[in-house]
Amino acid sequence: MEMLIRILHNYYYMVAILLFVIGMHTMLTHSNLIKKVIAMNIMDTSVFLLFVAIGYTYGGAAPIVAENSEILYVNPLPGSLMLTGIVVAVSITAYALSLVVKIYRFYGTVDYDEICLIRSQE
Amino acid sequence: MDETTAIAVILFIILFPIIMTPVIMAAGGRSEKLRNALALATSAVTFLLVISLYPFIMRGDVVQHTFFEILPNLEISIRLDILSFCLAAVASFIWFLCTVYSLDYMAEEHGGSRYYAVLVFTLGSCLGIFLAGDFFTLFVFFELMSLISYILVVHEETEQALKAGYKYLIMTIIGGLALFFGIIITFEIGGTVSLGVGSIIQEGTLLALLAFVCFLIGFGMKAGMFPLHVWLPDAHPVAPSPASALLSGVMLKTGAYGLFRVVFHGFSVELIQNSNWDIILGILAVITILLGSAVALTQNDIKRRLAYSSVGQMGYVLLGLSVLNENAITGTMFHIFSHAIMKSCLFLAAGAIIWKTGKRLISDMGGVGREMPFTMVCFSVAALAMIGIPPLNGFLSKWTLGLGALDANLTIYALVLLISSLLNALYYLPIIVPAFFEIVGENENSHALQLIVRDATPRMLAPLVILALCTIIFGLSPINIPFELSRLTSLFFLEGGLM
Amino acid sequence: MGLEQHFPALIIAILFGIAFLSPLLFRWARKLSAPVLITTLAMATMMAVYLLVLVYQGGEFSYYMGGWPPPWGVEFKINLLRVYMLLIVLAISLWIMVYALKDLEHELKQELMGWYYSLYALLVGSMAGIALTNDLFNLFVLMEICAISACAIISIKEDRACLEASFKYLILSAMGTGCFLLGVAMLYMVTGQLNYDLVNEALPAAIELYPNNMFAAAALFIVAFGTKAALFPLHVWLPDAHASAPSPSSAMLSGLVIKIYAFALFIMFYQVFPRPLLESIPINEIVLWLSAMGIMFGSIFAMVQVDLKKMLAYSSIGQIGYVFLGIGLDDTIAVTGGFYHLLVHAIMKSMLFMTAGVIIYSTGIRQIKQLGGIGQVLPITMIAFTIGSASMIGLPGTGGLISKWYLALGALEIGRPIFVVIILASSLLNAVYYMPIIVNAFMQQEEFEHEVKPVPRQMLIPLFVGMAAIIFFGVFSRPVISLLENALQIFF
Repeated sequence: MEMLIRILHNYYYMVAILLFVIGMHTMLTHSNLIKKVIAMNIMDTSVFLLFVAIGYTYGGAAPIVAENSEILYVNPLPGSLMLTGIVVAVSITAYALSLVVKIYRFYGTVDYDEICLIRSQE
Repeated sequence: MDETTAIAVILFIILFPIIMTPVIMAAGGRSEKLRNALALATSAVTFLLVISLYPFIMRGDVVQHTFFEILPNLEISIRLDILSFCLAAVASFIWFLCTVYSLDYMAEEHGGSRYYAVLVFTLGSCLGIFLAGDFFTLFVFFELMSLISYILVVHEETEQALKAGYKYLIMTIIGGLALFFGIIITFEIGGTVSLGVGSIIQEGTLLALLAFVCFLIGFGMKAGMFPLHVWLPDAHPVAPSPASALLSGVMLKTGAYGLFRVVFHGFSVELIQNSNWDIILGILAVITILLGSAVALTQNDIKRRLAYSSVGQMGYVLLGLSVLNENAITGTMFHIFSHAIMKSCLFLAAGAIIWKTGKRLISDMGGVGREMPFTMVCFSVAALAMIGIPPLNGFLSKWTLGLGALDANLTIYALVLLISSLLNALYYLPIIVPAFFEIVGENENSHALQLIVRDATPRMLAPLVILALCTIIFGLSPINIPFELSRLTSLFFLEGGLM
Repeated sequence: MGLEQHFPALIIAILFGIAFLSPLLFRWARKLSAPVLITTLAMATMMAVYLLVLVYQGGEFSYYMGGWPPPWGVEFKINLLRVYMLLIVLAISLWIMVYALKDLEHELKQELMGWYYSLYALLVGSMAGIALTNDLFNLFVLMEICAISACAIISIKEDRACLEASFKYLILSAMGTGCFLLGVAMLYMVTGQLNYDLVNEALPAAIELYPNNMFAAAALFIVAFGTKAALFPLHVWLPDAHASAPSPSSAMLSGLVIKIYAFALFIMFYQVFPRPLLESIPINEIVLWLSAMGIMFGSIFAMVQVDLKKMLAYSSIGQIGYVFLGIGLDDTIAVTGGFYHLLVHAIMKSMLFMTAGVIIYSTGIRQIKQLGGIGQVLPITMIAFTIGSASMIGLPGTGGLISKWYLALGALEIGRPIFVVIILASSLLNAVYYMPIIVNAFMQQEEFEHEVKPVPRQMLIPLFVGMAAIIFFGVFSRPVISLLENALQIFF
């Protein structure tokens, strides 16, 4: 019972883990290459969500320095780290999509099972 | 000769043949005669240098010198004691004679430069094994020798040779890995693998037994011990005859030498006798002797018969190592000497017959004795020595081994020796007797003795004659230097003179 | 001089700088692009040597990026082990690049060469950064740069096999990075720190309150680094990726990229996680058994391959298993053996891939059974292959024996001789698939039938250097071994 209350209290983390698992599972099991790229994004986004959620302090104000420095601030560090992370994820997505375009040009399909079939016949 | 000179001589003995290898390879590109002369000179010089260490040895000195450390506590070192000297002397002597023999045998063959270069390199690494001062150096030279002699085994490059060579290579690598395991366990238990510190492993723990078994596998595989002898009957016959003589005569002894060092330096005589590990060695030796001799009876190809005979004879060496008293060790050492001489003589003679007449099967060899009398006489002398007829050296080694077995109350071993002598007779006499006395052909004139002598060339006959004379001289005669050395060796080891 | 204190950052900066400049140089001053790249790599190597000297004289030190100390800034820690990895990465990259300059003209389209240099420099720079960094998030960013450039140097050769292999590598690598970032999140949640040393200090207190985070983080890190370093069973991307890539890329990937992640795993578990916590989770057991299986399966799969480069790729899976075996055995001697094997295998495998590249360049052959008799036309190449194989099997005189010796000794020290048997069995399997190639190459009776293009000297000189290096590290191993023993003292 206490466990359930704790889970409900920390629903940010639970949603993030759920998204992570959805992303990982889709990435590994679905055969469409575009879906894999989308799932990779979902997976990375979930970790960003988790990080940003970690930074939140209950009752904290936005992290802009005001006159009196006694106010509780939300931790700005995870958010800014995740900006870097988002950039990294975008670059990986861009590269992955360009590979998918090239693969389509060479194989004529974006379905991974069909690509394996074509490769095994070569 | 003082110690520094001895160290310099030993280093030269090991390195000179190895350095001459590329020289010979390059000389082969220019002129065959130059190459042959260089090979001959290398083996002659090496032999003379080894003999020059004789006075040093007879004074009872031991040289143990470290060159440098590769890993902590693991050095490259050399050692010269009476055992090393005996084996190095035998090895370089037989090598020299085989090089003389090769001059004519390999004159028509292909790949001569490769053959001579590898021959000389293997000589260097063989001497490196015998003169190594610790197990690691021994292992390094052992692997070098085994792998490079593969090139000798597959010299003919026929399909059969390549298959035999592949089997040889895989078993060599397995043996090398087992040796590595044994050495590393020894290093772990004892902290060192040097041969200069007496016995390394003191207690018979399970790990020590594992090390012993690994050494048995590694060195036993090289020595042709059952059940790891399976490469031998394929590899020795396909090599060119001088190389077969070396493989059977000398390179098998490296396995026995390794076992010697393991028994006396790695463990100690008391440990092995107390833990009853000598029984393992003894049983394997008995099976090897009987198996080798028995299967030799069924072979029709002469070189295969000689190869199986080698398996059986190496069993004698292992038997002596399992009994471990004075007469047994003397017998073992002397059998190493005499078998090297006898078996090389046999292989070289067989090679002469194949070279001259092209016949490999024993059933075809009727009447060969009349065509090639010198060769067959030498063959017969060596074969009679193998059977153990007095006054030849084979008789002396069997006698001493039998005495050793009886001293230790192991009458069964003496019985095994007798049975194997009988088997030896059963498979050698059918070669010798028809060679001289069989009448070939069915027509009327066939019973007239034809004395057309078409024997091998003098350069091939000289080594044969020398080896046959050695079997006679080093038998029951008063100037039996190898026997003296053997007795000194056994006293050296059993009286604890290991430092 | 003031410049010297910035060498850690400068190494990475010049490499990234040349990555930026290389396409521009290639477009406008084509003749300069290759020499400038080589010069940059050489300069970076010399700076790394200088750092090694500094560490030997003064002990370990830290470099703060921008002068900001942790926890506000990113820290680069310079100690013996990291400089060892740095030197390996830079020296071997330089060596492979010398070979690559000639080989790439044959494998890639002409206009892509400048981009290849750029990706190569990015890869080397990121690996140098991974070796030096002391901050978790910095590690994440550098890992991603490494992943993109590693995938890109495969897919730059626009070939059907390359593209599929590269995509597979990218997806699995991205999965690994996702897991890694989640693991960092787990640690950050409870400690609030991202610097290795600060996390190390803060973890014991944090684990009192939240014991499960550490397990999750450890598991995620094993998956992350295992995927990227091809630990069994996460190795499935490696054979295709390494076999279809152009030969210099294969050499780079097999030789360096998988190693740097093994190193990162070691640092993660030995520097970030405090020692008593490490002993409470059986991470060493897991890594040990996975590595043992990787060693056996890598060798077994390699035996049945028909393509030369695929065989070498499977062999890499087995060999990286040795490094993980060293880490898993958790004993100073074993870890020394593992790291020595890292160095030796980097040289061996790069050299073997380079010989495969030479064979493909001059004869176009990729299948093993067509290699009969090739020793007569490409003798130097096949002698290099022989020496590389001898080192793989672990014959005395080559570096492979030294690392096997240490690994076996370490296994015996902790009383588990079964792993010695595994090491020796895999040596035998290595012999079974390398020996026939060598025997067929030299002993074949028939003449070699394919046409042979002459091999440029620039491609042969790296082979000579490789052969000399293997034999050198087999005979004179003392300096490196004592360096490693000094380096590993702080971890045990």
